[in-house]
Amino acid sequence: MKEITEKIQTIAARLFEEGKIDVFIAWEKGERDYQVKAYVARSKEDVKNIVFNEYAIYNVANMLLKFRDGHERIGIAVKGCDSRGIVRLLEDLQIKRERLYIVGIPCPGLKDPLAAARNYGGFRKQAEPEGLAKKCLDCIQPNPVIYDDIIGPEQSPRQQGERFARVKELEQMTPDQRYDFWEKTLSTCIRCYACRQVCVACDCRTCIFDEMKPQWVGRENSTTDNMMYHLVKHAHMAGRCIECGECERVCPVNIPLMLLNQKLIKDVGTFFDGPEAGLKYVEGNKPPLSVYRIDDPDSFL
Amino acid sequence: MKALSKGKLTEVLDKLSSQQEVFVPLQKGEQSGYFSWADYQPDRDELMLEALNVYQSPKNVVLPQTERMYGIISQGMEAKIDQTFEDSHPTVIFGARGCDVKGILAMDEVFLTRGFVDSFYQARRANNTIIANACYAPGPNCFCPAMEVDPVDPAGADVIIRDCGDYYAWEALTAKGEAVTAQLEGLLEDRDVKLPSAQPFEMQVDYQGVAEKLKDMFDHPLWDKMAEPCINCGMCTYVCPSCYCFDIQVKMFGEKGYRFRAWDSCMFEEYTREAGGGNPRGASKERFRQRFLHKLEFFQERYGTPLCTGCGRCIIVCPTDVNIARIIKAVKEAEVE
Repeated sequence: MKEITEKIQTIAARLFEEGKIDVFIAWEKGERDYQVKAYVARSKEDVKNIVFNEYAIYNVANMLLKFRDGHERIGIAVKGCDSRGIVRLLEDLQIKRERLYIVGIPCPGLKDPLAAARNYGGFRKQAEPEGLAKKCLDCIQPNPVIYDDIIGPEQSPRQQGERFARVKELEQMTPDQRYDFWEKTLSTCIRCYACRQVCVACDCRTCIFDEMKPQWVGRENSTTDNMMYHLVKHAHMAGRCIECGECERVCPVNIPLMLLNQKLIKDVGTFFDGPEAGLKYVEGNKPPLSVYRIDDPDSFL
Repeated sequence: MKALSKGKLTEVLDKLSSQQEVFVPLQKGEQSGYFSWADYQPDRDELMLEALNVYQSPKNVVLPQTERMYGIISQGMEAKIDQTFEDSHPTVIFGARGCDVKGILAMDEVFLTRGFVDSFYQARRANNTIIANACYAPGPNCFCPAMEVDPVDPAGADVIIRDCGDYYAWEALTAKGEAVTAQLEGLLEDRDVKLPSAQPFEMQVDYQGVAEKLKDMFDHPLWDKMAEPCINCGMCTYVCPSCYCFDIQVKMFGEKGYRFRAWDSCMFEEYTREAGGGNPRGASKERFRQRFLHKLEFFQERYGTPLCTGCGRCIIVCPTDVNIARIIKAVKEAEVE
């Protein structure tokens, strides 16, 4: 990992020196060793703060949204999942490809700083075993799908066993059982919207949940409003979720949000052709649910 | 001194629960917070009195995340209030740490003083008793003494319990405290107690002079740097024991409906959006700055105490490592022209 850090630093320093970028987005170490967060280097001098280590799990593609209205030329270091986020932003015309210099990092699988923070925080009676983060164990694409420079050898996908096993279990339930499951699970939501804010695919300028005229979703912390929030949010992610798992990772009440996303990934895969969201960038391509064709089947109408 | 044997804890909670709703720190499945003892299920829930704390503070007992205020019937251009939902059922918060009690004291200032009385809050708070759990072993993210909290002898408690190994020393401090103590006749014992000794704090925070210094730091470049990774979710504000901001809205179903209030968060863009579409805090940095200025400067100016209680929750849960202790330190060290 130290080697990767050095390589990112070298590339970033070179880009600053050659005047090719105005900022470089990567990670930096936080207060404690396990706290690693997004970082924006603005000069060659800042480059020494960049790190890539076993906790650099945060999807930094999300940071590009903070620059979407500017003209800065941006260097950015990305893992496989982060790179899929960039493809999504390019497809949605949120940022121009020529503004980006992408440094790809084939990802060895990382740990979750939040899990470490919770273990260390004293709010638990027993520490939980700290291995690879769940999102990394489910990873099908550790290697960057779009890059200008790549650091290190390719990694193999870590996803083992049947990919949608848990989704299939839920599909086997009766509608009532399934409703009970989701009602119970989503009733615990505290509506902090971290799942939305951390999501790189959530790139709408004004989110439907922030609309007031009309207000589409009530603000009560009730099962009804909570379900409305989650079902609308996740349905909106159909064909757009890049499976980076950040929503589930940051949830302060541990809602298994990726179950909703995986169900939609599975269904979109069944009903539409083409690669999964963010796996391949072809200029002009749109995700299946962003396209309307006159001959789309509509027998259900 | 009175003492509560840990062997009798369940019995004591059952007894208290028979006379008022008792909120205790629980790990409830995936949730961690203060929940009603009446819903306690031994096979699923774990009592967390011996953990440092739980993620969701007890503020929801006196300021629920969502509460109905009154019912409305609309009749043409007129509207009639058909009922109010003021809630005065008696409650006990059992086992709150000093930091969380301080959070409630801060809300008391907001909702009950300076000529503004919030009757909904007042109704709940007047019938609420706090049994605080003295804290002798602070966690790695704790810094309550810097925020005017005495973890061993917390102000604002009606009863203080102190963990002495296999029993809790029990000390009633107020009339409300005496009242709940009286309910436990026969369940508490008299004994000599040996109090634990307080462990040192790992983290040292110096808040002296920060509020004053912040007055000249509204446009300081420090906010740009600190706010950069923040994604403006509301997690920190919702786990915070003292963040009290709320919004009041209406739900109508045909001609009938109700007005309710729900927690809101200064982190949200919509929070300060004006009817005409303008927004004085449209940018992420502006909302971030507001949160910390409110905690560390504005509240101190108005009420003479900070609005942070040093519980460390926001430090633990923040997905982007925003750390209020580091912000205090950065303010201390910042150069101001």
